[in-house]
Formats: sequence, C-alpha cells, structure tokens
Amino acid sequence: MPALEMTDVRKTYRSGDTEVMALDRASLTLGDDEILALVGPSGSGKTTLLSIAGGLLTPSDGSVVVGGEEISSLDAKALTRFRRDKVGFVFQSVNLVPFLTARENLLVVAEMGRRDAKESRQRADTLLDELDLGDRGGNLPNQLSGGERQRVAIGRALMNEPALVLIDEPTSALDTKLGEQVMELITNEVKSRSTAAIIVTHDTRMTHYADRSVEISDGVLAA
Amino acid sequence: MMRLALREMRRAKLRFGFLSGAVGLLVFLILFQQTLLGTLLGYFTGALENQSGEVVVYNEEARQNLSGSLVSFDQIEAIAEVEGVAEVGPLGQGTFTVVAGGEEQEAAVWGYQLDGPGEPTTLVEGRLPEADREAVASSIDAAAGFDIGDEVAVAGTDVTITVVGLASDIRFSVQPVLFVTYETWETTAEAVNPDAPLFLPSAALVHTVDGVDAVDLATLITREVDGVEALDRAAAVDSLPGVEAVSQSFALILLLAFIVVTLVVGFFFLIITVQKLPALGLLKALGQSTSSLVLSVSLQVLTVCVGGVVIGALLLVGAGQASGDSFPISADPGLIVTTGSIVVGLALLASIGSLRRVARLDATTVVGRQNLGGLE
Ligand SMILES: Nc1ncnc2c1ncn2[C@@H]1O[C@H](COP(=O)(O)OP(=O)(O)O)[C@@H](O)[C@H]1O
Ligand SMILES: [Mg+2]
Repeated sequence: MPALEMTDVRKTYRSGDTEVMALDRASLTLGDDEILALVGPSGSGKTTLLSIAGGLLTPSDGSVVVGGEEISSLDAKALTRFRRDKVGFVFQSVNLVPFLTARENLLVVAEMGRRDAKESRQRADTLLDELDLGDRGGNLPNQLSGGERQRVAIGRALMNEPALVLIDEPTSALDTKLGEQVMELITNEVKSRSTAAIIVTHDTRMTHYADRSVEISDGVLAA
Repeated sequence: MMRLALREMRRAKLRFGFLSGAVGLLVFLILFQQTLLGTLLGYFTGALENQSGEVVVYNEEARQNLSGSLVSFDQIEAIAEVEGVAEVGPLGQGTFTVVAGGEEQEAAVWGYQLDGPGEPTTLVEGRLPEADREAVASSIDAAAGFDIGDEVAVAGTDVTITVVGLASDIRFSVQPVLFVTYETWETTAEAVNPDAPLFLPSAALVHTVDGVDAVDLATLITREVDGVEALDRAAAVDSLPGVEAVSQSFALILLLAFIVVTLVVGFFFLIITVQKLPALGLLKALGQSTSSLVLSVSLQVLTVCVGGVVIGALLLVGAGQASGDSFPISADPGLIVTTGSIVVGLALLASIGSLRRVARLDATTVVGRQNLGGLE
C-alpha cells in the first residue's frame, strides 16, 4: 500500500478578489518506505503540497489518500487526530515550542495521544541520542543553535512513529556543510524506520539523498 | 492539557508569580475592606443588632432613629395585643457622660426589662444583669474601665453602675454601651435631668411568637397600633443613621477593586496568550486538540487566581494577628470563600477573550511562516 496517493489535487487561495492557483491537478504516489525530494523555486507550491498531504490544509479539489485513508473529506477534529497519529512534520523554519525543553518538545507530541509514558521517554532519549543531542535534552530552544533546533524538530517529527514524514526546506537556514549533515541524518533516520518521507528543497545539490526527486513549478508537478 | 500548562508556568515562574502576587494583594484589599466595614458598622450598630428583640417599634415621627423616639406605655400595651407578639418590653436609651477607668467619657445606656426582649445575645464573659445598677458592657471597652467588677459613675449624679458581664459587638454609635435594667436607665435619666416631668421609653422591643415572621409582624404592628412604626431587627439596623452612607461608600470601593482584579487578570492573559499564539498554533498543527489548548489556558487562570486568593487570605490572617485589641480584624473563612469564588469567577469571565482566541486559532498559520514558534 502506498504511503501517499494524491490524485488531481488542486488548491486555490483567494486573496481579496484575485485567486491564486497554488497547486494545479497534482498527482503523486509515494511508496511506503520511499524518500521523495520535492524541488522547485520559491512560490511554486511546495509548502502547499506538503500541507495538503499532511492534513493541515484541505484541497479545493481532488483526492488525498494517506496510508489507505481518504483525508480530503475529514472534518477539522478528525484531521487534528490524523496529524497527531499519522504524520510527522518539520515546518519550513524550525518550529519549537519556546517554553519547552528539547526533550519536552519531543514528549509533547507523545502526550497528545494516549501513549505509554515510560516508552515515550525512552523513545525521546533514543532519538535525542541518535540526533547527537543527548546532552541538550534539558535545554530550551533559545539555548540551542540553529542546527540543533533543526535536529530537535526532526526528532519530534519521528516521535509518534508516523507513516509519513513531511519536511519543509530543512537546510535553507543552514550552511552547506551543516545542511548536508542534516540531510544525511534525516535520510538515515527515515530509512532505518522504513518510513515514507517528502523532503522539500530548492537546492538541487541535496536531491541525491532521496530515492527520487520530483520538480514543481507554478503549482504543476513535472514527472 | 495539564502538563503543558504547568510546564509553561514553571518556565515563567516570575511572570506567573508576579500576577498571583498582584491578584493576592487585590484580594487582600477586598477582604480587608469588607472586614473593616463589618467591624466599623458593628461599632455603629452592634447594640441593636445583638439584642434579643426581633422587632423594634419606634414612634412614627422618629424616622427610625432611637434618639428622636418616644413610645408611651399605652402604646406598649397595644402592641402586646397584636397577634404574633409573644412579649413586648420597653427600651430606654440615651447617651450619658460617665466616669470609667478614672476618665470622663460618653457611654450609651440601654435599659431593658430583665428576661424580656432587649437582652444582649453575645455574652462572652460574666453574666447578664440580675438587679438594678448592674450592667453588661461591650467587651472591646473592657480595658477602658468597663471590665467585670469595674464601677462606672454617671457624671454629676450619685448613680454608679457595676459591670457584671461582657458581650462582643455591642457598641453603639462608636460608644461604649451599658446594658442595664429599665429602672436603672430611668433612675439615671432622672438623676441627670431632675427637672423633667416624666421619662418615656425610646422604643419598644418585641419577641415574636415562634414561627411568626418578624417582617410580617412589624408590618402588622405598624398598621394596628396608632402612632408607631415597627421594623424587623435587620431593617432597623440598616436604617440607623450613617449605616447606609458608610455601606455605600465601601460598596463603591469594593466594586472598583473587583473591576480592577477582573481587568488585571483579563489583560495579563490576553497579552501572554497573544504572545504565545504561534506556539499554540504549532501545537495545533502537530495534532493538539483545541479543547485541550483552551483547557490548558483555563487551568493557568485558575491556578493564578487560587494562588492569589490564598495569598490574600494569608495576608488577612497576618493583618488579624497584627491588629490590636482596640480595632480587632478577624479573618472570616466564609468571607474568604465567597470573595475567593467571586474573584475566580470574574477572572474566568475576564479571560473569555483569550480563550476565544485560542479556540479560533488556525493551525495553518504555522506553515511557511518564518518564525520560531514565538521565540523571536
Ligand atoms: N495563505 C495564502 N494565501 C494566499 N496565497 C497563498 C497562501 N499561501 C501560499 N500562497 C501562494 O500560493 C503559492 C504557493 O505558495 P507555497 O506553497 O508557499 O510555495 P513554496 O513553498 O514553494 O514557496 C504562492 O504564490 C503563494 O504566494
Ligand atoms: Mg514553502
């Protein structure tokens, strides 16, 4: 079963009385342990596609099936639950809860569901170790460097053992060397868990970390 | 979510502690004012409030004021005939200059019929008067020459009254009070003013028959007996001169304090909620339900307010211990609970604006926004 199946998805934004077509009949299938690089210039619709795949935005038209479940018709409450249980997000810029430590930023998503607390703590510690943050778990986000925050966000995305990991421009705020390290970390973590992932980037040098890459421009996917 | 709310408060101890402290001070202010008002009003009205007659009957021209009222014994007999009156007795009341504790001072003398309506109900020490020239005094004035065994001389006469008991909260018009027999009052009044032809009671006090409502009986007496106006005890206390004015000015200050508490809590939570909306949006995008986010903020409001009420109550207890005998302040648990509940209720009401913002929060705001979840 594919991790994600998008068929003829359209998304238009209305701003004032003009309509912006952010995504135009996009179709995409992602294998259950496939890593896809989504490449395109700024404003081409990458974030929009990711948000729709992750149940954060609803498409104007078309169908989105994640892990066999059609999500385009779910209501807000069901979508919230879907995001909590099935998806791991890393947003475009690092997004951590500022009043929670690195470790708590991981734990908070586990605590949203009814997961075993002890298991969650072990899982958080394992992830922090793997991401080389073993000794930073007690630090607040403002005590961490940009690369460290990015890694915490990646750990959090993997925390709930999601079927689909969605990562938006993880390297844009980092220099090339750090960016490559982060990409390597992401692909290692995702591969070792046989999870499907979409990694958005506008840097074509990063695409070799993925199994496959797809280009997008002006809301249209190129095969 | 409880853990989220508590974690945030732990990270921002100073901020939340500060607000709790501010709420605590305001709660203390409110509690202190109410206690002060109670004590102050008690100084004005205690004797009337804490005597046993359930209905007070004035001359209809006295405008519910003891010092301007005269009731005849014919009228008292007529009152006794009214249905629902179990017992009626005269009350002689007047202010006299006395010498107590070696000093001349003003005291209110209350003469009532022994074992009849009008005896003090808050005896704390000693006994009630059993004979002429014995008195129960207000306990707060014990040190000023009104303690049990003290002899109080009425200035310019040979009348001396011996204090045999002390009762709490029986001052009147902020003066020491002596509850004596009606005859003692009459003797005293005559001795002070020997030329007056006759002395009439100031008012009549009534015991109701069991089960008869004092308010109804007062209405009936006013209607059936010529030339009198009867009031139930609570109404009589409220209509004493000065009570309304004092109550109203306190009520105004109290109202202001409640408004300030509401605004302080409301604004504070609006500010911190707006500040952390990006973080809450992030949590929502990650799958946190709206209801648990709203609950989390409500829990913080509750924690801050309950903390504030506890601080305010402790301050009141402290003030009570520091206050002297001449102006005692007591921390009334009932008052603390009522005031505390009102403050918590108002605070929740004031944070509805913040809660609504959280409830309406759009999870999609998190995508594409170049920020750190409210970090910068
Ligand atoms: N909330 C929105 N309202 C209106 N237009 C939007 C909104 N979000 C994105 N867009 C527009 O949709 C297009 C695609 O945006 P986006 O998916 O963020 O692109 P990318 O992530 O590739 O930079 C852009 O033209 C952008 O201006
Ligand atoms: Mg984008």
